[in-house]
Amino acid sequence: MLKNIINSFIKIPSTRLFVTAPTASIVTQSSSLSNALERYKSPLVTEPREVWLENLETEETQRLGLMALHPEVFADTPRIDIVQRNVHWQRLYKFVSFAHTKTRAEKRGGGRKPWPQKGTGRARHGSIRSPIFKNGGRCHGPRSPTVHFYMLPFWTRLRGLTSTLSIKLAQDDLHFVNDLEIPTDDSQFIKNLVEKRNWGPSVLIVDDNDIMPQNISIATDSINYVNLMPVYGLNVYSMLKHDTVVFTKAAAERIQEKILFHLNRIDANRLEKKFKLNQ
Amino acid sequence: MASVKHTTEKALQMLRSLPRVCLANIKDNPKAKKPSKRGRGQHGGDWHGNGQKRWTVLRLGYECSNSPFYLRFKYEPYYQGHHLKRQYPPVTLKMLQLLIETNRIDTSRPIDVASLCSTGLINLCPDQKHFGFQLTDEGADCFKSKVNIEVQHASELVIAAIEKNGGVIRTAYYDQHSLHALKDPKKFFEKGVPIPRRMIPPQDAIEYYTNPKNRGYLADPEAVSKERLVLAQKYGYELPKIESDPSYEMLNETKDPRQIFYGLDPGLVISLRDKCFIKAKE
Repeated sequence: MLKNIINSFIKIPSTRLFVTAPTASIVTQSSSLSNALERYKSPLVTEPREVWLENLETEETQRLGLMALHPEVFADTPRIDIVQRNVHWQRLYKFVSFAHTKTRAEKRGGGRKPWPQKGTGRARHGSIRSPIFKNGGRCHGPRSPTVHFYMLPFWTRLRGLTSTLSIKLAQDDLHFVNDLEIPTDDSQFIKNLVEKRNWGPSVLIVDDNDIMPQNISIATDSINYVNLMPVYGLNVYSMLKHDTVVFTKAAAERIQEKILFHLNRIDANRLEKKFKLNQ
Repeated sequence: MASVKHTTEKALQMLRSLPRVCLANIKDNPKAKKPSKRGRGQHGGDWHGNGQKRWTVLRLGYECSNSPFYLRFKYEPYYQGHHLKRQYPPVTLKMLQLLIETNRIDTSRPIDVASLCSTGLINLCPDQKHFGFQLTDEGADCFKSKVNIEVQHASELVIAAIEKNGGVIRTAYYDQHSLHALKDPKKFFEKGVPIPRRMIPPQDAIEYYTNPKNRGYLADPEAVSKERLVLAQKYGYELPKIESDPSYEMLNETKDPRQIFYGLDPGLVISLRDKCFIKAKE
């Protein structure tokens, strides 16, 4: 555990350095993935990223093959500013401020003129609750409830996902497994696995389905720093909150397909049109 | 080559030796966000740029007692009538070839404004005086497709490039209402109104569209055939014979000068739900 905590602060030289050119025997690439890569091929993009496909059945890593990932999704420009805007939005859209102050009208009393306008030698005042008085009302103060909901533009949300995925992959914090089948529902198995593989300590496991296998659901249930998430819930905040993100092969293909679809769709302009302001 | 890298690659390489990006160490670009200013204190929000108290924001360009800048100078008629002239947004041959190669345009059917617009990559705004597309000669050397294309304006080199590959080009006039229908046929059919007749060209465009050199749609077909030969001799290529082409029928397909959609006469109402068209009684 201590080792893991230390690891989260110090980057160990990566395991990805051992990735060599693929040999024919171990390359397993799904047909749908290669179709997607072929369909969205662009001469401007860089080479596809090759990553190891691992297993979860044993505590030690077993490499099952190489997997090619589209560079527009997993090797996009790491825009930290866009990532930050996504995180800020995710924090803010559900935030309601309950800070509240009373105005001069809501304060108790203050209806009477404190002293006559003329003749006392004092400054003229009309109310003891005016904002310049001690214990007076507050002008332009916070009013409860203030909703901070806003919508980040669609393309910023999309670029947030690609940027975060690319950052995670570049920093060796993204791992790919074939499925989530583990032999036992003991949480110690997951703890040992995370420690032996130099993951985490906090791990986000992403599957393409929201009904996860029974063993991993029970095993991770009691560990607060290992969480499961379906791919439709994938978001920038959660990916950054967890040190390591683990995708199943199906989840990786699904998110890649979806992001590539949106990056390349031609009807985006028409769909966005009704949300445009001041045009 | 290995030393030259895309900026993205450099950035990703840099990230490998940097601390892990997490919620605690990210921030926006400096000065990316402009803080909203609110006048505080006794005179907060009193002025709107013109001295004494005004409680509403002044209209754009208003300078209080001065005559506004945008009205201060006389109008110089350099571009008189410019806003009324017909505009033809360009489509290059290179772009057309790319659209064909990426399967966004089907060359087994005649190409017109509808097929160019349906790619979703080219936009036409008839309400902004766009009267269709002009085909320009960029990429004339690498154009390799055999097409039957109808555009609104084309230069001689473009015509030569199309005809050299055994294709057919025709320039045709569409009025703004026809273009609106042709730009998004689905949207137009869903309106449930009869297909209008295409208007004849305005007076200053008739000469262009009756000239066989421009492959105008109102030109004499025999004169057009002759001009095809003349152009082939001028540019020095052998004109492929369309008559013996297996796709002769497609290449020969034309619209009536009063017709907007291929195969649909004016006056028909199209029902997309019942997949039929409704004709007026004789």
